[in-house]
Amino acid sequence: MAVLLDVQSVSKAFGGLQALSSVSFTVGAGEIVGIIGPNGAGKTTLFNVVTGVYAPDRGRVVFRGEDVTGAAPHHVCKLGAARTFQVSKPFAALTVLQTVRIGALNRIPDMAGATAKALEVLELMGLVAKRDEPGRALTVMERKRLEMARALATQPSLLLLDEVAAGLRPNEIQDMIALVRGIAAGGVSVLIIEHVLEAVLRLSGRIVVLNHGEVIAQGRPDELVNDPRVIDAYLGEAYSLA
Amino acid sequence: MTLAVAILALALVLPVAAGPHLLTATIVALHAAFMALAWNLAAGYAGQFSLGHSLFYGIGAYASTVLYVRLGLTPWAGMFVGALLAGVVGTLLALGVYRYKVHGIFFALVTLGAAEVAKGIADNWAFIKGPVGILLTMQHAPRDFFFLRREPYYYVALAMLVVMILVSLALERSRLGQFFLAVREDEQAAEASGVDTYRYKTVAIGLSAALTAFAGSFYAQFYLYISPDTVLVFEPQLTMMLGTMVGGAGTALGPVIGSILFSGLGEALRNLPFLEGTRQVVIGSKMVYAVLLIVVLIYLPGGLVTLGQKRA
Amino acid sequence: MIGLDVILQAGLSGLFMGSVYALIAIGFTLVFGVTNIVNFAHGNFVMAAMFVTYLLFKTAHVDPYLGLVVVLPLFFGFGALVYALVIRRIVDAPHSAHMMVTLGLLIFLENLANLFFGGDLRGITTVYTTSSLVVGAVSVPIARLGAAAVSLAAVVALALVLHRTSLGKAIRAAANNPEGAALVGIDVGRVYRIAFSLGTAAAALAGAVVMPFSLVSPFVGGEFILKAFVIAVLGGLGSVAGALIGGLLIGLVEALSSLYISASLGNAIVFAILIAVLLYRPWGILGQARV
Repeated sequence: MAVLLDVQSVSKAFGGLQALSSVSFTVGAGEIVGIIGPNGAGKTTLFNVVTGVYAPDRGRVVFRGEDVTGAAPHHVCKLGAARTFQVSKPFAALTVLQTVRIGALNRIPDMAGATAKALEVLELMGLVAKRDEPGRALTVMERKRLEMARALATQPSLLLLDEVAAGLRPNEIQDMIALVRGIAAGGVSVLIIEHVLEAVLRLSGRIVVLNHGEVIAQGRPDELVNDPRVIDAYLGEAYSLA
Repeated sequence: MTLAVAILALALVLPVAAGPHLLTATIVALHAAFMALAWNLAAGYAGQFSLGHSLFYGIGAYASTVLYVRLGLTPWAGMFVGALLAGVVGTLLALGVYRYKVHGIFFALVTLGAAEVAKGIADNWAFIKGPVGILLTMQHAPRDFFFLRREPYYYVALAMLVVMILVSLALERSRLGQFFLAVREDEQAAEASGVDTYRYKTVAIGLSAALTAFAGSFYAQFYLYISPDTVLVFEPQLTMMLGTMVGGAGTALGPVIGSILFSGLGEALRNLPFLEGTRQVVIGSKMVYAVLLIVVLIYLPGGLVTLGQKRA
Repeated sequence: MIGLDVILQAGLSGLFMGSVYALIAIGFTLVFGVTNIVNFAHGNFVMAAMFVTYLLFKTAHVDPYLGLVVVLPLFFGFGALVYALVIRRIVDAPHSAHMMVTLGLLIFLENLANLFFGGDLRGITTVYTTSSLVVGAVSVPIARLGAAAVSLAAVVALALVLHRTSLGKAIRAAANNPEGAALVGIDVGRVYRIAFSLGTAAAALAGAVVMPFSLVSPFVGGEFILKAFVIAVLGGLGSVAGALIGGLLIGLVEALSSLYISASLGNAIVFAILIAVLLYRPWGILGQARV
């Protein structure tokens, strides 16, 4: 299996706070890899380092064979890694169609082609009816889907999802799981940060567990569920791991 | 579409019916609308709120003027040189400033500072006659962008505006324009979607600068006198901003509506036969504008163009 | 070769004016630090106070310093009025709206003054306008000394209010974290209004004390606001102590550079400094670098 993303001993500190310490893991082509950990474990910071928002203090990020450590985020996106933001960042004054089309323009240079691609993605995400609504008029749920649509429109080979299941009702979680599975089936590898353990346990082929910026465990979901280190990290969070 | 044609038709015949005062007022308004659209390119579409556009205006005015006075180059060509020069200066400025990730009010202040530095330099630069300025004595009409009658200036200004409107509309429908909007709305999200924000912010400023310079050249040819105190002060900047923000930033029509309202009305008031330049009227009208500006910005933040539009 | 005594004289003059600049800048930076609003009309508040002081002197022979009894409360109230009518409504708007609205205020005030007083420069002559103390090789103009002394006293008073009173604590809390401040029961709107009023009053105080040795016209506001920008950024936007240091520095730079180069070139240099600070150290001398 080809390695798509190779995170090598990445460390990042902000002032006195060590957000990431020697974090290493890989994502292979065709995989869905989950990242879990208590609040403040450094998960979003990890995404930010991988996608170039921050340059790490130490370590390397290699994506599709190219060293993208500290590269500009738009460059990482062009190489094929697209991410969503934990708190959705819609283009408030732009329509849903315009927003997703901007993602599509990443690979498709002409407006007509990009528009077609955008509509295709909107269809997949169930947002076609809202195509002419400005971003600011969407509900929180719709914004999440818009985030994903925009990222998908860039035609990534790796999709980084940041807590897309947060705040969803049980039936919506099932829909989201099916959606992500469908995306992966279409050939896009997925790196997914999730708090909703049901979603991440059922989706991921492998899981990386972060706590206090360090990787405390890695493995298959069924292995980790019984791992005392993982259970210990979550004891204060009142989660059930079953 | 038919409305646009009708307005254009009206605009084309206006000089026939208008007296000299009204004609001058409309020329001023067309000129103001043009430069408002130029500023709007960077500020309205790309969200780069520059306070230093007088710098580019001044470069345009001085470039075409100095090239004519020293080399006899017709300002028709000189204004393109001015635009190129302003574009280069704007691009270099942007490349430098954006590298340091300067945003919002800090960006605005840097651009303001740049314009102030330029004025200071101009006031002390003998080559361009410093604070005394340059008086243009034109010789060949129309070869040297000079006309003996006022009507041709009107048509030039109208043509410039129409071109600028078309440029804005084309931008709105283009890939470049969409990237400008993305940069304006959310730079981080734009970057994450593959948009090179550094590059497009720079392009926005460079393009806007070049176009603003044309307005400076027109000013020079219309008023036939330029100096740091006329083209490198805050006045042109204010004109651009007022028209754009009141009319509606980020649209092709907003800056036109806003500028015609402000500049046209102001100029007309200044020249009304029965109120013949009454000081109080002129000053009072500026106070009214100021109040109008404040009211529009508070209650209609999208500008006058949003009147009659459905709110989402 | 310019003699040392000339340099000392210029330096002293620079420090005096710098103290006044500092006061103006502090009013500006306080408003920005607390409400996040850049008030382009701040310089015109100075101008307005200069005119009121001028009027009081010309019509009722009230000395500018005595006139403060009227000017200070008047402009504190004026600030509150402007806040309630205009500023309050744009606090949550984007920065571009702040700039445009306060520019609108600037235009309004400038033209209001022009309407009433005309465009000519006007001045007053008090008993002490031309007197000076001679101290060794330098002559100390009383009017400028007074302006500097009062300005510095006001800065100290403001600092005391900010750090020793509960109001000051509320102001600093609201500046630091408006949501948090609201959560602990601070009326953030009221704090904003008071901060804006204080800033306006500071501008007014500066305007009143410079009147004995300055000329006023409706158009002097521009100079003041531009200097306020430079000083506030130099010292660190939101930092009162920074604005003090920045003010004194700019006053010195302005006075000393006028010995060697033209005023307009000196102005250009000041703005080049502004640009350099904005690029390399936007948090200013006393600000905190943020990641």
